[in-house]
Amino acid sequence: MPLLVKVRSFLRNSFLSRRVEVDLDQEVHSHFELLTDENIRAGMSPKEAQRAARIELGGIEQVKEQVRKERIGNWLRSVISDCRYGLQQLRKNPGFTAVTILTLALGIAVNATMFSLVSAFLLQRPPGREPERVAVVTSVSPTQGFQSDANPVSAPNYLAWREANHFFTDMAAADEYRAVSLTFQGKPEALRSAAVSPNYFSVLGVSPQLGRFFSDGEDQPGRDHVVILSHELWERHFGSGVSVIGSTIRLNRENYTVIGVMPASFRLLGFTPQLWTPLVLTPADQTAAARKDRSLFLFARLKPGITVEEARAELATLARRAEEAFPDTEKGWGAAVRTLPDFLVYAFSIRSALGIMMTTVTFVLLIACANVAGLLLARAAGRRKELALRIALGASRLRIIRQLLTENLVIALLGGGTGLLLAYWGINSARAKMTFNEGISAVPLSLDRNVLLFTLVVSLVCALLCGLVPALSASRTDINTNLKEESRAASSSRSHSRLRTVMVTGEVALALFLLIGTGLLIRGIFLMEHQNLGFQADHLLTAGVTLDSARYKDASQQALFVRDILPRLQHIPGTEAVAVTSDLPATGPGTVTLQVKGQQDLPSNQRLTALDVVVTADYFRATGIPLLRGRAFAETDNAATPRVILVNQEFVHRHLRDQEPLGKQIRLDVSGSTPQWSEIVGVVGNVKTYSEGTTDDPEAYELFLQRPVPSFSIMVRATSDPNSLASAMRNAVAQVDAELPLNRLMSMSSIIERQKGGNLLFSRILGSFALLALILAAIGIYGLVAYSVGQRTHEIGIRMALGAKSPDVLRMVLWEGMKMTAIGGAIGLAMALPLPKLFGAIFYGVQLREPRLYFIVPTAILVVAMLATYIPARHASRMDAMSALHQE
Amino acid sequence: MNSEPTTLLQGTLDLLILKSLIAGEMHGLGISRRIEQITGGTFVVKPGSLFPALHRMEEEGWISSFWGESENNRRAKYYRLSKSGLKQLEVETKRWGRISWAIAQALEAS
Repeated sequence: MPLLVKVRSFLRNSFLSRRVEVDLDQEVHSHFELLTDENIRAGMSPKEAQRAARIELGGIEQVKEQVRKERIGNWLRSVISDCRYGLQQLRKNPGFTAVTILTLALGIAVNATMFSLVSAFLLQRPPGREPERVAVVTSVSPTQGFQSDANPVSAPNYLAWREANHFFTDMAAADEYRAVSLTFQGKPEALRSAAVSPNYFSVLGVSPQLGRFFSDGEDQPGRDHVVILSHELWERHFGSGVSVIGSTIRLNRENYTVIGVMPASFRLLGFTPQLWTPLVLTPADQTAAARKDRSLFLFARLKPGITVEEARAELATLARRAEEAFPDTEKGWGAAVRTLPDFLVYAFSIRSALGIMMTTVTFVLLIACANVAGLLLARAAGRRKELALRIALGASRLRIIRQLLTENLVIALLGGGTGLLLAYWGINSARAKMTFNEGISAVPLSLDRNVLLFTLVVSLVCALLCGLVPALSASRTDINTNLKEESRAASSSRSHSRLRTVMVTGEVALALFLLIGTGLLIRGIFLMEHQNLGFQADHLLTAGVTLDSARYKDASQQALFVRDILPRLQHIPGTEAVAVTSDLPATGPGTVTLQVKGQQDLPSNQRLTALDVVVTADYFRATGIPLLRGRAFAETDNAATPRVILVNQEFVHRHLRDQEPLGKQIRLDVSGSTPQWSEIVGVVGNVKTYSEGTTDDPEAYELFLQRPVPSFSIMVRATSDPNSLASAMRNAVAQVDAELPLNRLMSMSSIIERQKGGNLLFSRILGSFALLALILAAIGIYGLVAYSVGQRTHEIGIRMALGAKSPDVLRMVLWEGMKMTAIGGAIGLAMALPLPKLFGAIFYGVQLREPRLYFIVPTAILVVAMLATYIPARHASRMDAMSALHQE
Repeated sequence: MNSEPTTLLQGTLDLLILKSLIAGEMHGLGISRRIEQITGGTFVVKPGSLFPALHRMEEEGWISSFWGESENNRRAKYYRLSKSGLKQLEVETKRWGRISWAIAQALEAS
């Protein structure tokens, strides 16, 4: 049985290797003796006979090595022995080992940590059956802006498209952002809920953890009081009990029956509410007026064999049909179709930020690899004699390369392992820091399979990157010159020094590019941190309120609530001013289109737009937004008096071309109400649209009593710490309505802090990466220059013996270092030139121009490089010519 | 015959070793000399090629080895043909026949 023989040989070679070796040794020796005997018989003297035998044999060790190569399992054996040898080498040089492993570990750790974000946000498949076959349909707004092609769809369009399409098996709709109040054990709590059509879950292809989904007909008024809980809510309030199914909870003052619980895995990034209720569409949702109310995201499953492109084309046709039939409301509006995974990532708008961070860490890793490659190169030079000896003893070049690569692999894997430990810590700390956004903190970060695989691949690539060049150059050693004496050549070979030049230049370029990029980002974020937002954010306490339709059926009741609550808040001791606003300042209010009386009608995609904020009379006093012209809202303005409106400076500048604004009539196209002409009575200062952006947009302020809204924020300006008024505010609201929850009761400054949280974390992470890159680059440059000076000791000795003075030597070494730095710096600068434009596109509305940076960073790099060159250069210049010549 | 030793064709060494072991068990030097003899000195097998081949063939199970005494009382490792080695010799012989026939045909064609 040949196979059995082979297995036996393999086992013998693997486990009885010592006996196999002894056997081989004896066999070759006996062969040598037999040869000698033969030669003596042929008449040679014993000495001659031995010599001839040795020549014919061709070297005992070489023969043995050749036999070893032929053995079964030789590959495995040699890898293991290479690893063992590699570890031995590493143990021999603990300093070298620590530096290389730590350098690689740092590079790998930042990559693994960042990749865990990529894995959590971009690589996680959405739950459900074949999520890439689920299409998400959104509206494309005629006005350009942030994600203007991911707007929700109106109910009439949903109904029409669901009927008319041919490419979807089923289409569901979800109103994703509904605030509801859950009264639990007497306490009201504001929660995010989604109203979904009964087929929503079946379109996604998920199943409940407990209970059932909505059935047909539960989207009819009267039968719609059923609710499905998220896993998190079920855990928090109901202790994960099974008995929750069939129980009754109070939502918006009404009783709802719990019919199901979703599994914890049901997460759709930004589309993960805490509970789901049926979406009820009444006849009112099918009128022409309802076309303006775009609040539904459509989820549809593609029919087998239908591509997203086909669905996209069909929806475009349907949108065009709507445009023709209802030009008033649909003009310019289109439809976009994306697959569910694409849509979630797009709507979460995190891809570009992750892209920047991944690029940064890749550069950090490249620098780390360049450093390690430099170290290995230096070490390989020191080992040339050893390698030459091994080649002389019969090791082939391939074998040497493989051995060196295996050693590098050992280093890379040790680095990867250490990096993984660091990454574990990094991921934990990232998770702890990422609480600024509910969507983000809900995403679980972990060292998952993707991250582990990524780390392994990165380690292997590192081993190759760091090791291939030194291994190739080391294996090219010339046996004779290296064995005779450590090379007496005046300076190291040309290819070696070119390699060093390339590495130093590359490191400088990468470090410069990284530093400028990070500097720009940090500068941009600093600008945003310290900009004047246009109002006074300190001493403001805010809370969100959503008046439910159960108790506050119409506008007059909403107005009544506000009229009731304001005096109560005003009476809290320590209150300076009180106001209600539809949108807190600098939190990105909604945009409306508008018309100015006397100006000609513009086509729908060029209509004027403004941010629309509805406020009570005291809003400007409470926020500290300055009144520049005319008057603010007065107590005398109310629903019965003529409509008045305030605009900001930007509005006057952009929409009225700086003409006299007071007395002008404008009309806002507000959804859900008939548009009315209002008179501009005053001009106020600009407020930044977002606290994390730098743009000023035209703004219009409507009076709450003239246009009440059901969802708003209460603001209280306090004379001292605003948080001290929190419980008094809660009591005041409870006196008016005990079942009304306050959402996000917190100070305005902490809201802004939270909005900026992402940027802050982002800049801090990038800043530390850039610093790491600079340190690594400095170490790398120092190492390479020091090594090259060390290599040239002999040459320097000759120069000095021939009369060169030590300042000459110093100048020469410094000059070469500076030359490399200058070239690398120029490359890095060229790479960094398009950065401001790139970042401008990524950070919506942020202008980044920082000419100083292009001076500071190269200077810093130059100084670091100068130091890194100076120390070895000085060492070289102080050498004694004779000792330099004798040094090997 | 040609006085210059010719480099062995790939695969021929195995055939020659198997063929030489037909005569009976032999040690490495013996095999080497036997090949020299039966090829009329055309092929001289150096230990650097012979031993790797012997060890590989032993692992294949074509030959087996044992330690014995040489003619002048030296300890030496002897090799002998196994059953599957005999079979292998047939296979290799046929293969070689095909090759040499094909090469001859090729050279005759003009």
